[in-house]
Amino acid sequence: MSLYASAVKRPIMTTLCFVAVAILGLFSLSTLPIDLYPDVETNTIMVMTSYQGASAQDIEQNITRPLENSLNAVNDLKHITSKSRENISVITLEFEYGKDIDVLTNDVRDKLDMVKSALPDNAENPIIFKFSSDMIPIVMLSVSASESMPGLYKILDDAVANPLARISGVGSVSISGAPKREIHVYVDPQRLEAYGLTIEQISSIIAAENRNIPGGAFDVGSDTYSLRVQGEFKSSDELKNIVVGSSNGSNVYLRDVARVDDSLEERAQQTYNDEQKGAMIVIQKQSGANSVEISNKVLSMLPQLQKRLPSDVKLDIIVDTSDNIRNTIASLVETVLYALLFVIIVVFSFLGRWRATLIITITIPISLIASFIYLAVTGNSLNIVSLSALSISIGMVVDDAIVVLENVTTHIERGSDPKQAAIHGTNEVAVSVIASTLTLIAVFFPLTLVTGMTGVLFRQLGWMVTIMMIISTVCALSLTPMLCSQLLRKNNKHGKLYKLLFTPINKGLDAFDNGYGRLLTKVVSHKTVTITVCMAIFAGSLFLLKYVGTEFFPTADDGRLGVKLELPIGTRVEISQEVTSRLAKEWREKYPEIKVLNYTTGQASSDNTFASLSDNGSHIVSMNIRLSDPGDRERKITEIASLMRQDLKNYPEFKKAQVNVGGNRGGAMGGQSTVDYEIYGYNFEETDSVAQQVSRILQNIKGTADIMISRSDYQPEYQVDFDREKLALYGLNLQTAANYLRNRINGSISSQFREDGEEYDIKVMYAPEHRTSIADIENILVYNSAGQGVRIKDVGTVVERFTPPTIERKDRERIITVSTVVSGVPMSEVVAASQAEIDKLDIPTGINIELSGSYEDQQDSFRDLLTLAVLIVILVYIVMAAQFESYTYPAIIMTSLLFAFSGVFIILYLSGHTLNVMSMIGAIMLIGIVVKNGIVLIDYISLNRERGLSIRKAVVLGGKSRLRPVVMTTLTTILGMVPMAVGTGQGVEMWRPMGTAVIGGLTFSTILTLLLVPALYCLFAYVGVKRKRKNINLSIEKK
Amino acid sequence: MKSILITFDQAYYERIITLLEKSNCRGFTSWLEVQGRGSHNGEPHYGSHAWPSLASAIITVVDDSRVDTVLNALHEMDLATPKLGLRAFVWNVERTI
Repeated sequence: MSLYASAVKRPIMTTLCFVAVAILGLFSLSTLPIDLYPDVETNTIMVMTSYQGASAQDIEQNITRPLENSLNAVNDLKHITSKSRENISVITLEFEYGKDIDVLTNDVRDKLDMVKSALPDNAENPIIFKFSSDMIPIVMLSVSASESMPGLYKILDDAVANPLARISGVGSVSISGAPKREIHVYVDPQRLEAYGLTIEQISSIIAAENRNIPGGAFDVGSDTYSLRVQGEFKSSDELKNIVVGSSNGSNVYLRDVARVDDSLEERAQQTYNDEQKGAMIVIQKQSGANSVEISNKVLSMLPQLQKRLPSDVKLDIIVDTSDNIRNTIASLVETVLYALLFVIIVVFSFLGRWRATLIITITIPISLIASFIYLAVTGNSLNIVSLSALSISIGMVVDDAIVVLENVTTHIERGSDPKQAAIHGTNEVAVSVIASTLTLIAVFFPLTLVTGMTGVLFRQLGWMVTIMMIISTVCALSLTPMLCSQLLRKNNKHGKLYKLLFTPINKGLDAFDNGYGRLLTKVVSHKTVTITVCMAIFAGSLFLLKYVGTEFFPTADDGRLGVKLELPIGTRVEISQEVTSRLAKEWREKYPEIKVLNYTTGQASSDNTFASLSDNGSHIVSMNIRLSDPGDRERKITEIASLMRQDLKNYPEFKKAQVNVGGNRGGAMGGQSTVDYEIYGYNFEETDSVAQQVSRILQNIKGTADIMISRSDYQPEYQVDFDREKLALYGLNLQTAANYLRNRINGSISSQFREDGEEYDIKVMYAPEHRTSIADIENILVYNSAGQGVRIKDVGTVVERFTPPTIERKDRERIITVSTVVSGVPMSEVVAASQAEIDKLDIPTGINIELSGSYEDQQDSFRDLLTLAVLIVILVYIVMAAQFESYTYPAIIMTSLLFAFSGVFIILYLSGHTLNVMSMIGAIMLIGIVVKNGIVLIDYISLNRERGLSIRKAVVLGGKSRLRPVVMTTLTTILGMVPMAVGTGQGVEMWRPMGTAVIGGLTFSTILTLLLVPALYCLFAYVGVKRKRKNINLSIEKK
Repeated sequence: MKSILITFDQAYYERIITLLEKSNCRGFTSWLEVQGRGSHNGEPHYGSHAWPSLASAIITVVDDSRVDTVLNALHEMDLATPKLGLRAFVWNVERTI
C-alpha cells in the first residue's frame, strides 16, 4: 500500500507519528544553544614565549624564527603571524575554518616539544593559549570599591577571577585596574650617603628582621616546650623603627633615611568606568566556545561571587556580548513568526477556505520543527543562518502541501468522497511534488559541499533547507492527505462573512487572471518583440552591476565601539588619563547614545594576560563604549563612529587614534570592513618608507578612515654605557653596577610582609622625587668591595637611544600592514582606487605588497560562491531535463534565472545595498525558487498540449490557469522575506541584503517569467512541430 | 442470470461494493486500475500526465430480479456526482459452472 493510502487509512498512527516528530523537535529546540553564527570563528592558537632581557631583534632571531619554522608544519594552517617584542614572542596560528581546536592544540604541542631543545637556555617554556588576543572579550565586569581598594587585586583574584576561570570554555580572566598592595621603602639618597648606607644593606637588614625562626624544643620538668622567635612585622609601621646602622654612637633608624609607604604598586594599569576609578575584569572565551553559554554561566555565578566579596566591593557588567546575540536572535525569531503569519494570510486569501488554511498551518511548523532535531543532533546552534533558513523555507514548504491540497479539493468537488479523494488526488500529484522537491534539493544540497569560511555558513543552510524540504514532501504525501480526508467537506457552504470578504477578492483575482490572459495573447502573437525587450532589460541590468559596490559582510550594529588611542611614546600615564578624561566628558555630552564608557591606560602587569598580549603602555589608552540598543536611537553606529573620528582630529595630543565598530578592527563579520595592504620585506627602513607611501595614497582616497601602520614607532630609551676599564679601576664589574641601578630605580624586593595569610612585597627603592632626571641616575653611588663609593657618571655615560620596534612577521616573513577602515563607500571602490595608485609606485626589490584583510576573505568567498552557482545551475538543469524528458524545456525555464539576477542587481542598486556574502546567499537561493515558477508553467502548458490543444491555446490557457498558483507561491516566499528586508530589530543589517535580494530577484523574475517563458515555449514548440512535419513528409516521400 | 459490467472512477469503488452487498449480490470480480474514455463527454481516465485519473471495473453476475435495483441505484449515484463518471452494462449469461 502506498504511503498516502496507509496514512489516510490509519489517521491515528499518522497523527501520532508527526506529534512524535514535533515533540522531539521542540525538545531539541529547548536544548539548542544560541549563537550569532554557526561556528565560523577562525581557530586561533597563540604561542607565547618569554625570554627575559632579549631585545625585539634577539627574540625574532632566537625564539620566533625557530618556533615558526617548526610550527609551520602543523596541518590545516592558514597563516602564521608573530610579534617579537622586548622579552616576549607571541606567535599566532590561524587555522582553516571548522577544524577541531583540541586536535590542533595537540598538534601544536607536539611541534613545540620537538623544537624546545633548540631554544636558548634561559627562554621559558612556550605557553599555548586557545584563543587570540584579537578576539573581543565576551564579558567585561566593572568593580568598584572603597575601603577594600588596597587589597582589591587579591580579593578579586581569589574570589572572582579563579572561580570564573574554571567555567569551561573560558579562555582567560584578567583583572586590570586593581593594583597589588606593596610596601614601599622610599629612600632619600642624600641621607643614605650621609650615613654611609646603601639600599642593598637596608634590603638585607629588613629581610633579616622580618623573620620567624623556630628554636627547637626543650624540656621543663615533665613537659616539652617548643621555642620560637616571632620577629615578623605585625604592621607596616614597625618597619620605621628598625635600626639600620649607627652613626656617632647613636642608632640610625629606617625612618631617618627613608619613608615607609604602605600603598599600591607604582606602575599599574588604571581603569575608569564612567569616570570612576575602579577595576575591570575581562573574560575571554576559547576559540569556538559558545559566548552565550559562557556569559550565562558567568552571569548566574555573579550573585554567588558577590556574596563572597567584602560589602564595599560591587561587581557590575560593562559589556556582555551575549546581550547583542540574544537580541539579534530574538529579533530574527520575530521575523520568522511574522513570515509565518504572512504566509498563512496569503494562503487563506487565495484558497478562501479556512479548513484548507488550517491544514497548511498545521503542516508548516512540523517541517520547520523537524529541522531542530538536525541542529541538536549535529551540535549546531540557533543562529542567524539557521533562522534565515527557516524564514526562507516557510514560503517553500507550503508549496508541496498546497499542490496536494488543491488536487484533493478538485477531486472532492468532482464528487469523490474525501477519503478516496485524498488517496487518488495525492497519487496523481505525488511524482510532480517529488520532482519539484528534487529541484530544490539540487540547489540546496550542493551548499553543504562548500569548503572554507563560506562553507561553514552554507553547510548549515544547505542541510537545514534540504531536511525541511524532505520533511515537507513526506508531510505533503502523508499528513496532508490524512488531514484532507478528515477535515475537508463536500459542498462547502459559505457564510455571510465569507461572501463579504471573498467576493471582492475573487473578483479581483478573476480580473487579474483575465488581464493576464489578454496580455499573454498579445505576447504570444509578438514573440520576437517580447524576447527582444526582455533580453534588452537583462543586458541593461548588467550595466547596473558597475554601480553596485561589493563588500564582504555588512557592518552590523551591535552597539559596541572600541577606541584605541595612542599618545606620543613615553607620555606619562597621568597625562594620558587627563586627556582621555576630557575626551570622555566631551563624548558623553555629544552622544547621549553612550550608555557605558570605560577606559584603561598604563603599563599592564605581566600576569594580566588580556592586557599584556595586546599593546599596552602608559601612552596607550583603550576605550570600550557601549551604545544604547539600535532600535532606541536615531544615529547608526557607523555614523557615530565617523563623528567620533572627526572629534579625534581636534585632539592633537593623540598621535594615533582608531574607532572600531563592533569593538574590534576588521573582525571577519560584523565589524566595518578593512582593506589591508601587507608589505613584506626584511629591511626596516625600506619597508617603513613603502608603508608611508601606501598610507599617503590611502589618505587621498575617498571612503578611507583610521589609516594605521602596524609597525609601532621606534621607542626612545636611556641606556647606561659603562666604561669597563674604569669599572675595573674601581674594583667593580658591569653586573654589580647594573644591579645597583636596578635596585634604586626599579627597587629591590627585600622581603614579604604577611597579613591575614596574604603576602605583600616590601620594596626598597629611591623615593619617586629622587628619580626624575638623568642627573639623578648619574649621581647614583655604587660601592665596591672596599666600601668605596663611585658615582655612575664616573664609570659610564647615560645616553638616549631608539630601540627597534615590535617586529611583526606573517608566514615567516617580516611584514608591515597598512590598513584602512572602509566607511561610507563600498569596499570595491576603495580597492580599485588604491590599487591603481599603488601599481604606479616604484617599489625596491625584495619588497612586495599584497592585499589582504576583509578584501581577501571577500574574494575567496565570492569565488567559492560563483563556482557553487555554476554547479547548482547544472544540477538543476539535470533534474529538470530528467523530469520533462527534454533538453529544450529546462533551457527555457532557466532563462528566468537571468531575470532573477537582473532583479537582484536592480534592487541592490535602488536600495543602495551592496553585493556581499549575504546578498549572494539570497541570489543562490533564488535559483531554486525561480525555476519552480517556470516548471509549474511549462508543466501545465505541455499537459494542455497532451490534451490536444493547439500550441497557442495551450500556452494562453495554461498560463491563465497557472497564474494563481505561481503568484501564490511567489507571494508566500516574498512575504516570508519581507520581515527580513524591512525589520528594525537588532542585527537587521546582516540579513537585510539577503531579504532584499530575494524579494527583488523573485518579483522581477516572476513578472518576466510569466511573459518570456510562454513566448519562448511557443517559439520552440513551433520549431519542434515544423521539424516533425518535415520528418513525416520525408518518410511519406520515401514511401 | 445477467452479468453487469460497471466501469467507474476509482473514487466510487467502496460505495459500489457496499451497494452490491446491500442488494444481496455477493459475487463480483474487479479490476482496480483500468483506463477508458466515455463515448460522449467526460474526462478520459488514463492515469497519464495529461489525464491522471484512473477508472476501476467490476463485473458481477446477479439474478434477473436484482438487475433493476442495482442499475437504478447506480444511475442515482451517477446523477449525484456526474463529473466522476460511472457506467453499467448488462448482458445475458448463457451458462455458468
